[in-house]
This record gives sequence, structure tokens and C-alpha cells, in this order.
Amino acid sequence: MNIDQIKKEFPIFDEKIQNNDLVYLDSANSSQKPKIVVDRINEFYTKQFSNVGRSVHYLAVAATNLYENTRTSVQKYINAKDKNEIVFTKGATEALNLVANTLGQSYLQEGDEVLITELEHHSNYVPWHFLRKSKNIKINFAEINEEGEITLEEIEKKITPKTKLISITHLSNVTGAILPVKEITQLAHSKGIIVVVDGCQGAPHLKLDMQELDCDFYAISCHKMYGPTGLGVLYGKKKWLEELPPYQGGGGMINEVKKDRISYGELPNKYEAGTMATAQVIAFDQSIKFLESIGIENIMKHEADLVEYGQELLQKNNSVKLIGNPKNKGGVLSFTIEGVHPHDIATILDEDGVAIRAGHHCCQILHDKLNIPASARASVGIYNTKEDLDHLNQSINNCKKIFNL
Amino acid sequence: MNLKELYQEIILEHGKNPRNLRKTEGFNKDAKGNNPLCGDNVHVYLKLNGQKIVEDASFEGSGCAISMASASIMTDLIKGKNEHEAKEIVEDFLGMIKENPELKSEYLSEDEKTKLMCLSGVKQYPMRVKCATLSWHTMVSAFDEKTEEVKTEN
Ligand SMILES: Cc1ncc(COP(=O)(O)O)c(C=O)c1O
Repeated sequence: MNIDQIKKEFPIFDEKIQNNDLVYLDSANSSQKPKIVVDRINEFYTKQFSNVGRSVHYLAVAATNLYENTRTSVQKYINAKDKNEIVFTKGATEALNLVANTLGQSYLQEGDEVLITELEHHSNYVPWHFLRKSKNIKINFAEINEEGEITLEEIEKKITPKTKLISITHLSNVTGAILPVKEITQLAHSKGIIVVVDGCQGAPHLKLDMQELDCDFYAISCHKMYGPTGLGVLYGKKKWLEELPPYQGGGGMINEVKKDRISYGELPNKYEAGTMATAQVIAFDQSIKFLESIGIENIMKHEADLVEYGQELLQKNNSVKLIGNPKNKGGVLSFTIEGVHPHDIATILDEDGVAIRAGHHCCQILHDKLNIPASARASVGIYNTKEDLDHLNQSINNCKKIFNL
Repeated sequence: MNLKELYQEIILEHGKNPRNLRKTEGFNKDAKGNNPLCGDNVHVYLKLNGQKIVEDASFEGSGCAISMASASIMTDLIKGKNEHEAKEIVEDFLGMIKENPELKSEYLSEDEKTKLMCLSGVKQYPMRVKCATLSWHTMVSAFDEKTEEVKTEN
């Protein structure tokens, strides 16, 4: 696998960013886009545009087919059993809200418990909090260990007879910990507990096999997967998607509408109310093709090498403190520098063309637990190289110099 | 863009050893501010005497060098001013951080102006302006006895 070649497929790396070559280490936030994805959006709008699923003219039928092709590609990519288990949303956030809302309407009852973890992104906490407010469900938190991991044992410890649902991240966007989702699901199912997975960080970086993982729901963010913004995917087991009520009402999701009664459409239309992000869905097919052309095994190998290299570099750099040290770790390096606030780090790194993120990364619960207000985070994607991490390290040294460390 | 202008020695020094980082005993005005985007937070305390003059000002909180230095310098120079003077200084400071080339307030000494101008480098970093202004907005809120937390998103 030739990373230089892969990098050339991303037009942004031809740009000078404030006179610097771009060292992009913010892929956990959002990934850059390969040319084929950008071009596909342009091509669809210039040559093929029509709304999908509504009209019978040529363009409408062609667009509908393209739209549905992506659904099939996603199904294959994540090895879902059925094409109708793939629902497009505006993002992973909406996917998680859809799950919480519909389960709240028809499944979860007052007093039921939902188990999440201290690693969760706000989008896998706030939707459950809504149910805490509206339905009086209880939220429990599985706690991280010293390494910033969530173990199967910890999950087992926190399950009570009232636990009805476990909602967990596949890969932490702060510590990089990869959770034992398959084992957690097995355990949960043996006790009749539903499993929801926030797959935002898992989907771009790990091999996905829904039938093997066996979780009930899996939320994906397409913009982190070399795809367009404004798009997410919710995988849901067919029996759930059939059983649960609709989330939003409007055009496209209905079967029959009368003054005194309404019946809802079949899957997947039932969950795709209104005009969807058509161009993004169609372009996302190219993101999947891009990922397939490299191969997830190669991607995982490359990113694992990068993390190991980066971790070693930063561990050797005194005054840098890495957050978490999970055995099973994805491409995220979160850190603090004693005496320099993460925002100052990010500003100084930016001046060198090194793009990272500073803040709580939408994980305030975790930062509270770690007793830090914020952290700096470098995260990798397929286009990153060891040189990028060398740049990071040099720029950190520059930062230390400015702060007289 | 110029990092040296942003991270001047005096900012680094105030950032590292902030003045008035404590809670004023017997304060009679206070307010909280927070920056939801970055999780920075500040709590400003004021003690006004019978003549409505700031006898003491202090703050608690955590944040970047810019926000700590800004709160540190602010609480130092606001002492001895009355509410009207303080608010005019705030306006002057916010104007300078956003666009004005210099400070104009007659209530600021040359020395105080020089100190505050050290924060002017922030202008070139739009994402960081809120770091410099959070404690100032929070102080106004304390004067006005607002109970709601100040939230800056510029
Ligand atoms: C772990 C995690 N969950 C959820 C989200 C939200 O995803 P989206 O931007 O697709 O709504 C993100 C991304 O910010 C994330 O990193």
C-alpha cells in the first residue's frame, strides 16, 4: 500500500494552508474527502439531479436507483443481513436520537435502566437523558479503568435486573480504547438486554460485520468515513425497525393518509421522512468504494503502525502526558502538556500547519473523571504518515519553547 | 499571523501566575461564565464599598494562557474604579480586541493601557477572541447581578 499515492487522491493536500503543507491530524473529528467523492457530488448535481422516490420521469428513476445502490453498498460493507436494515440519517447524532426516541416511545418504561459508559460522546448520552427527563428511566455509567478502557467485567458489574439497554461506543474518540462490543453483546443478549453501538469512530477504522457483532443498532457518521457531511447511517436489526414506531413524520414515510387515519410505509422509507441528503448518499457510494479499494485490513494495519509510532514519540517527550493507554487502541492520541492549556497547544500547532483538536471533544463526563477541563487530540486517517507525527512532535517542542518549558 | 505577538512574555507570566486567582472574602457581587465550546470557566467576584468603588476583585476558574492572563490583568486594574468607570473600560477593551487599534478610555492609565494592549495579538486569532473576553463579559454580568451564566461564543 502506497500512502503517498493514497494521499494524492485527496485534493486538500495540494493546498497550502497558511503557507504550510497541511498536517491533518483531526480525522476523528471529520475526515478529508477523496476526489472521487467530491467529483461525484458535482457530477450528480450537474448531470443527473432529481429528487428520489417520487416521480416517474427518467431522472427520478435513475436517481432513486443510485440512492438505493448506496444502501446496498453499505449493507455489504457492514455485512448486514438485509438491505432494509440500513437507514440514512443526517448523522450519527440523528441515528442515536432516532433509536432513543423510538425505544422511548414504545419499549422503555419508567424505572428501566440504560447502561452507558464514561467514554460516551454527548450524542450517546444526551438522547438518553431526554428519556431520563420524559420517562423517568435511569442512566448508569460503566467506569473506565486506569488505562482508559471499558472492560467486559465492568459492564457485567453494572448490569442490574432493571437494565434494558446498553449503549456504548465502539472506539473512544478520546482514549482510543476499542470496546469488546461482540462480547458485551453476547453477555447483554443472554440477559435480554438490547445493545446500541455508537460506531462513529469504529466505522472508518475497524472491520465491520453486523452479523458477527450481533448488536441491535449501530450508528455511523459518514463524514468521518471519507464521505460527505450531513449524512449518517443507522443500522438496525430488522425486527426492531419493523416493530418500533416512526421517528419523524412527513412525506415519503407514509403508506396511506386519510383525515382520520394514517398508515406508515415499509422499511426503509418508514424512517426516511422528507427529502433526504440525496447527493450525499449517492456520493457516499464512492467513499465505500474508496475504502474497499484499499481494504480495511490494510487500513487497520497502517493506522495501528501510526498509533504505535506516535505513542512512542509522545511518551518520550517529557511534559507530554498521554490520556489512556488501552491495549486495544485506535488512531487517537489525546494528550496534555503540563503547564500549557490545550487551546494554546492547538493555536501554536496550527501556526505550523498541524491541525489538531483541543477541548473536551464532546466528552465532558470523561474529562471530569480525568479531572482535566480539556485535552489536545491528534487523530489519524488513512492519509497520515509517520512524518506527520514527527511534525506533531516538533511542533509540540516549539510549543514548549514558547512556554519556556 | 504572529505567535510571538500573541504569546508575549507578560501574557505567559500572567497565565502562569495569575493575580487575584482566589475568592474575595465578603464579596457582594459575583457571576459565572463559561465557554461551552472549550469547557473554559470563570467565576468573578467583586467587593464594592459604600461608595460603590471596587475594593477587591478576584476570580476562580481554569482556562488557556490567554483567558487566565486576561482575567488576571482585568481583576488587577479594575480595583479602585467605580461601576461606571469599570463598564467603560470593558467597552473599550472589547472594542480594542475586536477592531480598534488602541484603547481610548480616560479611566485607564498609560501603564494599564500598555498591559491591556499585550492582549491585542488575539485579534488575529478569531477563534481565540472569546478566551480573552470571557472574564470581561462575566464581570459586567456580576455588576448587573445577572444570575444566568455568561456564555461566550464570540
Ligand atoms: C464518538 C462519536 N459519537 C458521535 C459523534 C457525532 O457524529 P455526527 O457528527 O455524525 O452527528 C461523533 C463525532 O463528532 C463521535 O466522535
